[in-house]
Amino acid sequence: MPVRLAICALAAATALASAATAAAAPAAVTAWYMYGSSASDLKSYAYAHGCAFAQAQPGSGVRLLLLDFGAARKLDSSTWGAVDFSNTRFSNADILAALERAADGYHNCHLRGGVDIAYGNTNNNLSKSGMSGTDAWYAGYHQAERAEDLFRYQDAKGYTSQTSDAASDIEPSWESASITKQLVNGNQAQGWALDYDFGSADGCPQSGSADGTCNNGWHVSDVGYVSFHGLALPLPEIYYSANASQWTVVRKQWGGQYFFAGVTGSTGVGLSPASSWSTLDSLNSGLVDPELVCFGC
Amino acid sequence: MLRLLSGLAVLGLGAGLAVAAAGGVPGPAEKSAALARLASVATTDSNTAPAPVPRFAAHAIPARILGPDAPVPVSPSLLRAGNGWLMSDGKTLVAVYAGAAGDDPAVGRVVVVRQNLVAGRQTMEQVDAGRTGALSIVGAQTGGLRLRTAGGRLLLLELGNSTSHIVLTEPGYGDRPLPPRTSDSASHSPRR
Repeated sequence: MPVRLAICALAAATALASAATAAAAPAAVTAWYMYGSSASDLKSYAYAHGCAFAQAQPGSGVRLLLLDFGAARKLDSSTWGAVDFSNTRFSNADILAALERAADGYHNCHLRGGVDIAYGNTNNNLSKSGMSGTDAWYAGYHQAERAEDLFRYQDAKGYTSQTSDAASDIEPSWESASITKQLVNGNQAQGWALDYDFGSADGCPQSGSADGTCNNGWHVSDVGYVSFHGLALPLPEIYYSANASQWTVVRKQWGGQYFFAGVTGSTGVGLSPASSWSTLDSLNSGLVDPELVCFGC
Repeated sequence: MLRLLSGLAVLGLGAGLAVAAAGGVPGPAEKSAALARLASVATTDSNTAPAPVPRFAAHAIPARILGPDAPVPVSPSLLRAGNGWLMSDGKTLVAVYAGAAGDDPAVGRVVVVRQNLVAGRQTMEQVDAGRTGALSIVGAQTGGLRLRTAGGRLLLLELGNSTSHIVLTEPGYGDRPLPPRTSDSASHSPRR
């Protein structure tokens, strides 16, 4: 987006120079899968992750600390939260408490730059867990609400190098498009937090700009919707060059102002994290922000 | 993100945002308040007093197999997961997910997630078993996990401290060439 802004606002020569600069991948920052057998575990881990992130943070910019708390869930008639990767259910109150500890950890270990701490979840098996579309909508709404609660905590504590947002690992294979869209709609309705989509365009075509089919009955336009509608921003998983091609199709199909907030990479996959960013950027020059979060870095 | 924030701060609004703000296609205008908030993030805290440091209270998670109802963090584009296995001593955690490669269901694959919660490190490792069909975890033994292929053969996943290897446990298994350095190992170096 920055280069896109430059293209719009500055002379073409300046924009081209900016595009050339954008070819260098940013240094990766670590994103975390959250595991914990209790709320106290979750808080301890989150504090440690916040501190470790601050200590390792490269450069002086604002970077994204993404904590993935697992699949969004309705825990009872009036309680939403997530089931984490150890298969433990946590309420949003527990998750907010953990996020606040992450903010404390970042503050205590802060060396440079700033941070956007994101409450991450996934669209894994929402309907199989008994959630309706309305439930998914509320899950998105309350997720954004907790992100805002975190910001109020950061603000009250004088953590002026911090802000907060939401994020979702949205995978077409994990849930229908119709219910998944409700997560995004709920977030949009709450209206405060950006909603980074750090998922995939699983099964989508790798060329063209048509609204082709993807896995699990999804279409390219559905991936565009969950990654750019309202407050959503794409931070796509680019593990193989095919993923970059798929997301380029998503961008072209959506058209207009679509840009990428960065890239989600990983170790142990086909592309190194830096290559994942560069590969997407090479197909979408000037439309990929210099953010690179990495699971496994 | 830095360039985004700098761009917003310097330019105020880009053309895309301006178009949307003027009532054009829905898009960045809806994001503008949140993006402006991002642009306002400082690089120092106004409060320099340290926050209370919580006592590290993480507990061990006993080793257990995770069924299909447990969320899997790994993208289906990388792994079509069948089941998983998890263990933590409270400071280090190992989670293993078994299934098939996302782009080829004939290829058996495991993904190993390791977290050192004290040192703040997390690694992911992908290990392929060749054309075994989907793998499933059937049990744990000292130093590793027992895997079953789609055809019912048993394999062993050796879990090292940082890298893992799949080892044949049945003689005569010849779906793929064996590495020359050993006679009984079908280890696949993880792609790093």
